[in-house]
Amino acid sequence: MKLIYPKWKKLPGQTTFNLPPHGPVAFAGTLPDYVDVSFTDENVEPIDFNEECDIVALSMMLSTQVKRGWEIAAEYHKRGKLVMAGGISSMLHAEEMVNHVDSLFLGESEGRMDGVMQDFVRGELKKVYNYMGQMPPIESVGPCRRDLYKRELYNHKGVQMVDLFHASRGCRFSCYPCAVSYLGGRKFRPRPIDKVVEDMAAIENNRLFIVDNSLAQNKEWEKELFRAIAPLKKKWISHTIEDDEEVLQLAYEAGAWYVYQAVYDTSDYIKERVKRYHDHGIGVEGTILLGLDNQTEDDCKRLIDFLGEIDLDLAEFTVLTPFPHTKIYDDLLRQGRIFDFDWNHYNAGQVVFQPKHMTPEQLQNVYDYAWQSFYKNETQEQKMFNLFCNVALREMNEGTYRPRDRKLMNQSFGHQVDRSKRNVNV
Amino acid sequence: MKVPKEYYDEIFEFRGTWDEPSTCGLKIRQYEGKYYVVVTELYQENPGTSITYAGRKLADQICEAKGLRFDDMVYIECAPDTNSKLSFYDEEYFEVDFNADLQHKYHQLDPQKVKAILSQNA
Repeated sequence: MKLIYPKWKKLPGQTTFNLPPHGPVAFAGTLPDYVDVSFTDENVEPIDFNEECDIVALSMMLSTQVKRGWEIAAEYHKRGKLVMAGGISSMLHAEEMVNHVDSLFLGESEGRMDGVMQDFVRGELKKVYNYMGQMPPIESVGPCRRDLYKRELYNHKGVQMVDLFHASRGCRFSCYPCAVSYLGGRKFRPRPIDKVVEDMAAIENNRLFIVDNSLAQNKEWEKELFRAIAPLKKKWISHTIEDDEEVLQLAYEAGAWYVYQAVYDTSDYIKERVKRYHDHGIGVEGTILLGLDNQTEDDCKRLIDFLGEIDLDLAEFTVLTPFPHTKIYDDLLRQGRIFDFDWNHYNAGQVVFQPKHMTPEQLQNVYDYAWQSFYKNETQEQKMFNLFCNVALREMNEGTYRPRDRKLMNQSFGHQVDRSKRNVNV
Repeated sequence: MKVPKEYYDEIFEFRGTWDEPSTCGLKIRQYEGKYYVVVTELYQENPGTSITYAGRKLADQICEAKGLRFDDMVYIECAPDTNSKLSFYDEEYFEVDFNADLQHKYHQLDPQKVKAILSQNA
């Protein structure tokens, strides 16, 4: 099987860090042993369309990957190959996806791929394998096939990028702009702690990104998780952690490096929330969503200026984007406010709808202003470097620090580094 | 963020996109020779496809289950007030014209007018 993660166009003006993708290797982990897999992440290396294979599998996470996925499928069809597709954006764009591939897999693949592969071997591959809403037992989620990564391609100047990891699936929240509850179900499904520890321990990387939508879904499980992973001495990034003194302390002791925290208003609560993370030695990357119906241009600018007061370590700005199967998609569709259905533009940096209190151009300008304003004194790469120093110091104190790979000091994601440039765009 | 029960007479189970088990709130009233069918999004209580994404597929299933003719129906989607602190969950009603293009498919209705119709023969 040729497993491919299609490339997408990166947002202009931003530092690009290519992380080893999680979806393809999680999927590969569910394949039966008799399937040989060759993996290409097109974001870091070109596809060799002439490489021998019996079947092609496209794994896609982002809306901005689907059209490239269709191009890749067409290229393989010219060569007489069968193409199947799966992953988050295959599910979100399933109605269109099914027209471009020979077989579409919807849902989670644990315990199901042997049947699919048997169908393929018999020449009876189905057009659609529909497991939407039928979640496999969470205990069946096993380790990812991280052996498929070409590690040197996820390395920036000798520093290995974090490995992505998941400790749970599903989400009990159903947030306005998010499709996770549609994809992974509205029930929080934590993985058994012993399996989490076992999988995490086996990862040849001291730094992880726990990609669960929110760890703040079950306080007792969260505390148990942190106590269990602390001895591994990994350092990790995650989304929100419970706003609780005990949990935050346990998170730090378990290796919390920095968290993504939504900054949605200029309240003292947000200021205090960020401070509480910092008080526990945990860094904060603010995530700021621009273009909500309750925001004027001035509101957005006030919010952006507020970031200077709360001492964020990093900030990531996005414009509201109506991804299919979200409430915002339904609302804006009914209101006739979506004017762009080109999925290549659904990158959360391009305005594809009519904002309520701004023109699309004004919102686009606010978005550009946000990035420029926050990073005017210190670039994203420099701020990232500060966070890197924090974690390196902690690792040195604990004796887990791994020095940079000197062979790759002049390389960034497989490309030679031009050291006269500060930002790296691949 | 539960949808208050006054928004529906029954929970209607339907097959969403890819036959995903899905639910919505449902009220049907006869008014001036038409059947007013109000489907309400249930958010967290709906395990599958939203009413808007299901669209015509849901309308057809309601017709079949309730013995209605499609042309006799005024089909209305309701985004209910969930008493959430977030303004995204305020009440809205849209009449849906499945034959129109996307720009003209949804017509926002005055909630009071819809409620007046729904109070008929309740």
